[in-house]
Amino acid sequence: MTADRTSSRPPRASLVRRRLGWTATAVVALLLAILLSLAVGSRQIAPSAVLDALLHGGSSDAADIVRSLRLPRTVIGLMVGAALAMAGTVMQGVTRNPIADPGILGVSQGASVGVVLAIAFAGVHTLGGYVWFAFAGAGLASVAVYAIASSGRGGATPVKLALSGAAINALLVSVTTGVLTTKAAALDEFRFWQIGSLAGRDTEIVGQVWPFLLVGTVLVIAVARGLDALALGEDVAKGLGQNVAVVRVVAALGATILTGVGVAAAGPLAFVGLAVPHIARAIVGTDHRWVLPMAALIGPVMLLVSDVVGRILFPPSEVPAGVMTALIGVPFLVTLVRRKTVAA
Amino acid sequence: MTATDSRADSRTDRPGARAEVRAAVRPAGYGLIRIKGGGRSCHDARDLRGGSFLLHRRSALVALGLALATVAVCVAYLCVGESFIAPADAVKAVLHTQWGLGQATPNDLVVGTLRLPRMTLGLMVGAAFGVAGALIQTVARNPLASPDIIGVSQGASAVTVGAMTYGVTSFAVLPYLSVAGGLAAAALVYVFAWRGGLQATRFVLIGIGFAVALRSITQLFLTKGDYLVAQQAKVWMTGSLNGRGWDEAGPLGWALLVLLPGVLWAARAQRTVSLDDDTATALGVRLGRVRLGLVSLGVVLASMATGAAGPVDFVALLAPQIARRMTRTAQIPLLCSALAGAFIVVTADLLARKLFAPTELPVGVLTAAVGAPYLIHLLLSSGGRGRKGGTAA
Repeated sequence: MTADRTSSRPPRASLVRRRLGWTATAVVALLLAILLSLAVGSRQIAPSAVLDALLHGGSSDAADIVRSLRLPRTVIGLMVGAALAMAGTVMQGVTRNPIADPGILGVSQGASVGVVLAIAFAGVHTLGGYVWFAFAGAGLASVAVYAIASSGRGGATPVKLALSGAAINALLVSVTTGVLTTKAAALDEFRFWQIGSLAGRDTEIVGQVWPFLLVGTVLVIAVARGLDALALGEDVAKGLGQNVAVVRVVAALGATILTGVGVAAAGPLAFVGLAVPHIARAIVGTDHRWVLPMAALIGPVMLLVSDVVGRILFPPSEVPAGVMTALIGVPFLVTLVRRKTVAA
Repeated sequence: MTATDSRADSRTDRPGARAEVRAAVRPAGYGLIRIKGGGRSCHDARDLRGGSFLLHRRSALVALGLALATVAVCVAYLCVGESFIAPADAVKAVLHTQWGLGQATPNDLVVGTLRLPRMTLGLMVGAAFGVAGALIQTVARNPLASPDIIGVSQGASAVTVGAMTYGVTSFAVLPYLSVAGGLAAAALVYVFAWRGGLQATRFVLIGIGFAVALRSITQLFLTKGDYLVAQQAKVWMTGSLNGRGWDEAGPLGWALLVLLPGVLWAARAQRTVSLDDDTATALGVRLGRVRLGLVSLGVVLASMATGAAGPVDFVALLAPQIARRMTRTAQIPLLCSALAGAFIVVTADLLARKLFAPTELPVGVLTAAVGAPYLIHLLLSSGGRGRKGGTAA
């Protein structure tokens, strides 16, 4: 056992060093992504001019573009990327299912249903109005998923969580498509929201969702150790002194809030919540205290880079970020998944 | 393994003890069916070589129940619509139009030409998706893995919607494009997931990755295309039996017939794959080959069904899970999955035709509405059943 451990695992100090190294790399990548997001677009602005506009104001065209268009977009990209990545990490941890993510477990779909109903029946057509409907939908969906999974004997086992998530997701999809097929007018508006995009979001959204982002982050960080214990199985987690039910509920609550933040601000962006946790785990191992911050760093990088690429791919029109995340993320995911055995 | 050993032992035993031993080696919940009328006496163990097999009693009952439910829904399907036709008349009309029995009735057109072909297609699509889902969930060892999650449906959609966007709208060509798309997507996933073997988790993850990427491409086509194309593509993408009939049902029927031996093989091979890798390998199962066979079969079935009716969502995910939770077997039962799938699709299409008449919803909107509540009910009522872990679950 001990011999095995020394041969297969680096000693503690070098592990920490490696993790710190990767974290630093991720921070640098994030800063680069932010700079790109501010400087690149249909009109290129030199990095020096970007910094100038941010620090000293000024009223040139370039400064205006940076401050009024690109800055809000970048901030939202940061928030949404971090929120979805952390939500995905926690969901995979709680369900012990490597393919769990806000989309598959129905939480994003709950938010979508909220938005569809808002467009079709409540006559809400502003982004500021969608936010609350998306939140409500996400909340209701995850409460339903959890309630179904935890009923009956055995409580919320991973398999039951995954299945009830899938069932609720299926149900909600049929509600969404039902409304959209009968109300063609809603389809046109919804189809652009549905893909997920960072374009045309204003700073108002940032002000509305940042408290939720904070609360969600605090909740999931608080149960990081609990999630580590859960990964060993329920009985072991209990033996380690974790209150399994509390860990699950708090984690689920945090993940729901974070998903709500992401979906409300940018639409149901696929893939960030699924792929980023795997990438983060491949880099820093399975310790959630490292994986969560790492995911919060990588998520925005992926989202911002996707957004930037989407801006310059087919000028003058933009490819929505939600389309690009998958196209950019898949090669990474495939490479990492192929490289090592997957920690579920 | 042990069963045959102890049966061999039992031959050397005293006659009285033999029956007890044989009863003991029979797994719980199974009945022994003898082909050669051994009856209950079984005074010779050689009877067993005359042909006998174990039958899971509960599965048999569930299959029977599902079959009856499906038949009932089919009759209702033929009767209900714009005009109501009494069940007896509907059956007469079917007999006359299909086999020339009895006299022509005024209902022949409505039942035989409009409703029956569509229903047949629904049955076959449902069964195909049910089996495909069961196979892929077994290989992936993950209840969330189904053809509509690991990229088959998305590949079909991407190719089809792309063709629609660039002006291909004839329904004579599109199904073949969807089948090609589904198969191509699956082949890609397989190639990328293969690394000296096919590890279940890796396969599913890469499948999902491709699925999301392909869905994004589909969305890209949708946003690029004009409004009408988007509407049409949207209907196709939710799966619809509207205006489909013998033209689609024929090829699908033949394909299913051709694949039937494969499905029979799969029903046996499945059991070994649902064990963990090491155990299966130790038992002499060629895991890689068996998995490739099962997945290919599932993908072909799913692609065919998608080509015929569009990606009818969630049938492949829900039907196997419903079947398994009804039969309470360790593996996903194939026959029951097929029946559950057929039942879900036909019921959903019946509702789709009637619910918002005269507006007709695509069947894919309602498959989830039919299947999901029942799965939720099963989850609520079943509890853990003491079966933990997510192997074939």
